[in-house]
Amino acid sequence: MNELMSPTAFKWFLTILTGGLAGSWFFYDTFNLIRIRNADKQDPIVRDKIFGYIMGIVIGIVGVLGCLRFHDVV
Amino acid sequence: MATTMSAPTPARVVSPFNPANAVTASRFLTLPPFMWAVANGYHQWATVFILICGLLDKLDGLVAKIFNCRSVFGELFDAITDGICYGFALIVVAYYGWAPVAPVVLILVMGVGNSGLRFIYGWRAKRPTNYKSYAMERIVAYTGYLIGFATGGMMVDFYYWAFVPMQAVIIAYDAKRMLVDPIPEVAK
Repeated sequence: MNELMSPTAFKWFLTILTGGLAGSWFFYDTFNLIRIRNADKQDPIVRDKIFGYIMGIVIGIVGVLGCLRFHDVV
Repeated sequence: MATTMSAPTPARVVSPFNPANAVTASRFLTLPPFMWAVANGYHQWATVFILICGLLDKLDGLVAKIFNCRSVFGELFDAITDGICYGFALIVVAYYGWAPVAPVVLILVMGVGNSGLRFIYGWRAKRPTNYKSYAMERIVAYTGYLIGFATGGMMVDFYYWAFVPMQAVIIAYDAKRMLVDPIPEVAK
């Protein structure tokens, strides 16, 4: 069985998929974090959300950074 | 996988044989072709099969909403399926040399440890319950991606080693909540 596309197309497919999702993830969780900034931080659910959104932002940054390194940009 | 601290259990009884759980179970069907693709060196096909597995993970929550068949069992089944599918796929890519063994072992050990913590949380809650964590939701999605990075040969060492400290921080944070913090009333 042959592969589905050329190696170059596959490389760009992975880049767009990873970079697109990681970038969206970064902005989505940044937006969530801003939206929740005035919530009661004594509430454990709110604290869990804040921690989760921060980790989401970190994961988004790692994802985009990996894409840039994949193409030798950084 | 989850939102925070278990929503209240639905009052009505939901059969475990429902469309959402069928979608969840169908994820297992992607594992044999995934292994076949890895064993035969088909990087792109392996990526496709793990993508399908990840998409089905997103689809089961949507199906549960559409058919109104959310249940504690469904959440647990989803979490267990995540562990089995992604754990199996990680072992396969490491075994065939597509991913570095050391971080894969660390990731699996931490994953098993996290499952143990979930059992303790369920024991503390005195009923079947799924511990939910926003951060863990995100790291589980990243786990799916890890396999895609291995099958695609995309910055494999970078993404795998970046994953390990993030997973460690999240498990440490969740461990405190599962072992020490009081369990919310809705989860008891």
